[in-house]
Amino acid sequence: MPGKPRKRSPLKLPEKPYIALGLEGSANKLGAGVVKHSPDGSTTVLSNVRHTYITPPGEGFLPRDTAQHHRQWAMSVIKDSLQKAGISLHEIDCICYTKGPGMGAPLTSVALVARTLSLLYHKPLVGVNHCVGHIEMGRQITGAQNPVVLYVSGGNTQVIAYSQQCYRIFGETLDIAVGNCLDRFARVINLPNDPSPGYNIEQEAKKGKRLLPLPYTTKGMDVSLSGILTSTEAYTLDKRFRPDCLAAEGEDVITPQDLCFSLQETVFAMLVEITERAMAHIGSKEVLIVGGVGCNERLQEMMGVMAGERGGQVFATDERFCIDNGIMIAQAGLLSYRMGFQTPITKSTCTQRFRTDEVRVAWRA
Amino acid sequence: MASSTQLLLASSTLISQGAEAKVYKGRLHPPSSHASNTDEFVLLKHRFNKQYRHPTLDTSLTKARVAGEARAIVKCQRAGVNVPSVRMVDASEGVLGLQWIDGKSIRFLLGGGAEGEEEVEETSEDETIDDQPEDDPLSEYNISKDDIMRKIGSEIAKMHKADIIHGDLTTSNMMLYHPRTGRTELVLIDFGLAYTSTLVEDKAVDLYVLERAFSSTHPASEMLFASVLKSYEQTMGKEWKSIGRRLDDVRLRGRKRSMVG
Repeated sequence: MPGKPRKRSPLKLPEKPYIALGLEGSANKLGAGVVKHSPDGSTTVLSNVRHTYITPPGEGFLPRDTAQHHRQWAMSVIKDSLQKAGISLHEIDCICYTKGPGMGAPLTSVALVARTLSLLYHKPLVGVNHCVGHIEMGRQITGAQNPVVLYVSGGNTQVIAYSQQCYRIFGETLDIAVGNCLDRFARVINLPNDPSPGYNIEQEAKKGKRLLPLPYTTKGMDVSLSGILTSTEAYTLDKRFRPDCLAAEGEDVITPQDLCFSLQETVFAMLVEITERAMAHIGSKEVLIVGGVGCNERLQEMMGVMAGERGGQVFATDERFCIDNGIMIAQAGLLSYRMGFQTPITKSTCTQRFRTDEVRVAWRA
Repeated sequence: MASSTQLLLASSTLISQGAEAKVYKGRLHPPSSHASNTDEFVLLKHRFNKQYRHPTLDTSLTKARVAGEARAIVKCQRAGVNVPSVRMVDASEGVLGLQWIDGKSIRFLLGGGAEGEEEVEETSEDETIDDQPEDDPLSEYNISKDDIMRKIGSEIAKMHKADIIHGDLTTSNMMLYHPRTGRTELVLIDFGLAYTSTLVEDKAVDLYVLERAFSSTHPASEMLFASVLKSYEQTMGKEWKSIGRRLDDVRLRGRKRSMVG
């Protein structure tokens, strides 16, 4: 009907409390969380437990070892989350698991756990798109209504906006993800992976002073990051590079801190720029940052300045919700479960490639 | 002491703020005595400082982009592409002055809403056009959607033949207007991300950016884009073969594409 001011959400208030268990394990974090939707429309996070597989400095996580880590920790993480929530598995309404995208082996081991629990306790399964989980959790926590979403993590870099039952991708990386770029550079300069390589880059960057010229590659609303990584790596072979930061008086040197600083400034400026372009294109004033790189305070700060200049505001969450977790899967899963969506056990597969725009977002107007 | 460019900006009216620049309408010369003439107006595009960017990075980017934009426009004009002509350049202030074009964006004309406007809630497109043809903004220009698409395709092809890559082809960056010669013309605007390249790859990516802009702002517009490509192909001639093939490759390139089948 033309002229109708605003469509009502197709999601009705629940007639009874709904509780969902969410299981996440698409990368090196294993997460379990319990979320409750009450009849008054409120959402409560009952528990959010996570265990991260941390590799030694200079090494990334390999699929097989990560899957083994998840199998080893699945029982204790799930038990812990149920205990913290103060409920038993009999009380929950559905079990939500990450269907994709992510690394194959870790995904399948978590899906196996979900299937087993579903059969043991006769609970329906709900397969969830990881990216949609991030977006729904971010919207829930920050209360942003219809934001442009910048989803930045180790495996994804996308600018997303909602339109007609679908999260449409306006811009994305053409090669590697931004978290991947930062993590790999952390490995090159031997930063520890604990608590996360990205966090350590952020701390190093605070000590950097000098902005070194790096490529600046925005292509419309897309970005390309692999060349920047290569250029930054090339600086570590430069004669002026001092891994130990020691320099004689007046000597022209490049330190790892300078490189972290330059890498962050350049890459984040590109991300803010494509987000701004999407905002201008759509006419939205809200930005929501989700995903692991989203807890970087420098990125949040830059985004805040940009949103301020446009008279809008930025929504961001902290590491509990930014970094992969179980409740985001529970939240997105429960929303689709309440719309009548279930994944039959014969279809409870996972997939490494599962685009954000393939999901029908039935629960939004 | 304010520079003459700053004074010019101060005397002009701000009409919109895009992603990276503020756009003003102003005059380079005081209004002349004879009848008002739209050519007297200039569009001033001011790339203001981006506070979020590191100052060094910001200065070099702004300078390079203003100069690059002016260069690309002049090159396009020489190649016979419909673009607004350059009136002034001040790269260090980040200001570019262009011919004022009195028209409407293709995005608006196709019902994608004007830029900066909230999305219109659920209006079935065909219905609106069937029921109230007088509301169709296209009627003002006396041109069919298909003709517009053909014009888009041929303008882009002319530009690519001159080895200019636009870098940000969207329906917001194209306008329809009536020049005084009478016929409706399509103008390509905003060469802020344009650069020169002879590579098939860059031309294919340019087309892909437009394809994505079509599908994200105008749902169910596959047919429209197909006719853009068709007229592009006609103007491009034998160069099309390699670009078309590369475009198919580029489409597969986004991350996490389904690889089934």
